[in-house]
Amino acid sequence: MTTTTAVSTSAANQLAARGLDLRYGDRTVVSSLDLDLPGGAVTAIVGPNACGKSTLLRGLVRLLAPSAGTVTLDGSDIHRMSARTLAKRMGLLPQQPVTPEAITVESLVRLGRYPHQRMLSPWSAADQTAVEDALARTGTAELRDQPVDRLSGGQRQRAWIALALAQDTELLLLDEPTTFLDLRHQLEVLDLVADLHAEAGRTVVMVLHDLGQAARYADHLVVLKDGRPAATGAPADILTAELVEEVFQVPCQVIPDPETGTPLVIPRARKRI
Amino acid sequence: MNETLLKAPSAQPRTAPATPPGGALTRQRRRTLLLCAGFAVALVLLTGLALSTGQVEMPLMDALRALVGLGDAGDVLVVQEFRAPRVLSALIAGAGLAVSGSLLQRLFRNPLASPDVIGVTGGASFGAVAMLAAGASQLLIPLAALGGGILAAALLGAFAWRSRMAVTRLVLVGLAVQSGLAAAVNLMIVRFPAELADSALQWTTGSLYGRTWTEVRFGGAAIALAVAAAFLAHRRLSVLDLGDDSAGGLGLDPDRARLGLLLLAIVLASLSAGLSGPVAFVALAVPHLVRLLAGPPTPGTLALTALAGAVLLLGADHIVLHLLPVQGLPVGAATATLGAPWLLFLMIRQGRLPQRSES
Repeated sequence: MTTTTAVSTSAANQLAARGLDLRYGDRTVVSSLDLDLPGGAVTAIVGPNACGKSTLLRGLVRLLAPSAGTVTLDGSDIHRMSARTLAKRMGLLPQQPVTPEAITVESLVRLGRYPHQRMLSPWSAADQTAVEDALARTGTAELRDQPVDRLSGGQRQRAWIALALAQDTELLLLDEPTTFLDLRHQLEVLDLVADLHAEAGRTVVMVLHDLGQAARYADHLVVLKDGRPAATGAPADILTAELVEEVFQVPCQVIPDPETGTPLVIPRARKRI
Repeated sequence: MNETLLKAPSAQPRTAPATPPGGALTRQRRRTLLLCAGFAVALVLLTGLALSTGQVEMPLMDALRALVGLGDAGDVLVVQEFRAPRVLSALIAGAGLAVSGSLLQRLFRNPLASPDVIGVTGGASFGAVAMLAAGASQLLIPLAALGGGILAAALLGAFAWRSRMAVTRLVLVGLAVQSGLAAAVNLMIVRFPAELADSALQWTTGSLYGRTWTEVRFGGAAIALAVAAAFLAHRRLSVLDLGDDSAGGLGLDPDRARLGLLLLAIVLASLSAGLSGPVAFVALAVPHLVRLLAGPPTPGTLALTALAGAVLLLGADHIVLHLLPVQGLPVGAATATLGAPWLLFLMIRQGRLPQRSES
């Protein structure tokens, strides 16, 4: 995935923001933002704390209404689509989902079918297929009868990703999917996301904390600073020491990742006085 | 590229034991079905008992014949005009209160939420008594109860909304609303003794004394509709349980859905209280009982909740009517007596359980 030089982006599933303002109350977090996210790619949104990356993701999935500007999906304003139509096109893994008490993995994943169901329609074969597929892809089929609140952090995160998969959307948006996970489980989740992109052709947009992981797993990087993109593009093209120092205020050098060749940020050692 | 990094998670060893597909879901479904059947049998038995016992004792077969208008004219009168409306009121109000409590507990994610705690049943009583005091027809009682319940909910919303429905504030404000409205009911009953003396018990503690077909027909039909709506809304409830962000991602507007379901719960509780008065603990205790017996909520457990609420209120009414040495005790006194130790048991049990892990 990361060794490919040319990213095969497609014309479909393109999210775009034009003149986007997002605010909480009277605090403007993102202002007049223009952004194009390539369809068919894995995009990572990175940036320092409070730079607005989660806010931006919330704006892109319509959890937050813009105070100005538009978000479009393949040219149509997402705020003019019905909630159900949009939910059939993009799935979301929020940063802190609420696990209902004692719910089993399978019951949780079944809820991903909500936008596909009508009020009185019974559970269909297509629903069951989507659920089985989601369980299989995330490796949670064996856990299906386990209560989600008893799973380990990594297993729980995979169950939640399975819910978003059962939703059967072309776009998948994840808000810091690796938070609270140890390294092994972080990589497990990111590998799963990479597979979903490579094998199932999903367009992925995720907010990540770790620059090295973002560079390794994303085809397209959006580096946010104070609610504005400081740089966008392929990680190898944009991730430079100057950019990291400017955005994160961390002096560093950027070297090729010995495993993948993608940029790796090495902070400079503090001089001991 | 590192091989291990590309390995799909499914290729890693599992610690969890393999179970047949859908095992837990099927097990829970079967269990719920069995429990429903059990409560349905209890309901039928209690109904038979309630129709055939009383000052005029009659064999069960005679009572059933009288119910459809056959047999001794005196029996027919007793069964059709006195016992049947009372039994139906108990069933419908019990089911309505229990379903309402279950909706509220899920919406607020708070095991203490119930229409009596947040003042809705008190509001319904207030509305009903005000209507009676104004000398209006019995037909308007359900509507008045509904209005009173919504008034109480609006008061609660006005005082507790700004705290984003924080648990303690909600319960405290709810108790204040409930007590204030109960005081208003008492005041009205004292001011208009002639008209209201008979119904005082019903509107202060909850009683099924003297229910007539007029009330049962209107209240009953409305409650049945509202219970049906609760079943139709079950998917929305389950999605709301995932938190607002996930619900939004699944295409459900959480605020709108919550408001709609909240209104439904208030309508259910108010109409039920319009039939039975503010019967305590049914709405609070039955959802917990069902959870304990049948596990996490499904449409099946909602049906079980309705059945269990009906059985509980009918059973409690049977106790106050026939099994106690004192006469004329209101059914609300019995449910409160049963409910208080049950609530204590739940609290002690909750205290012993390990804290829920973070989402």
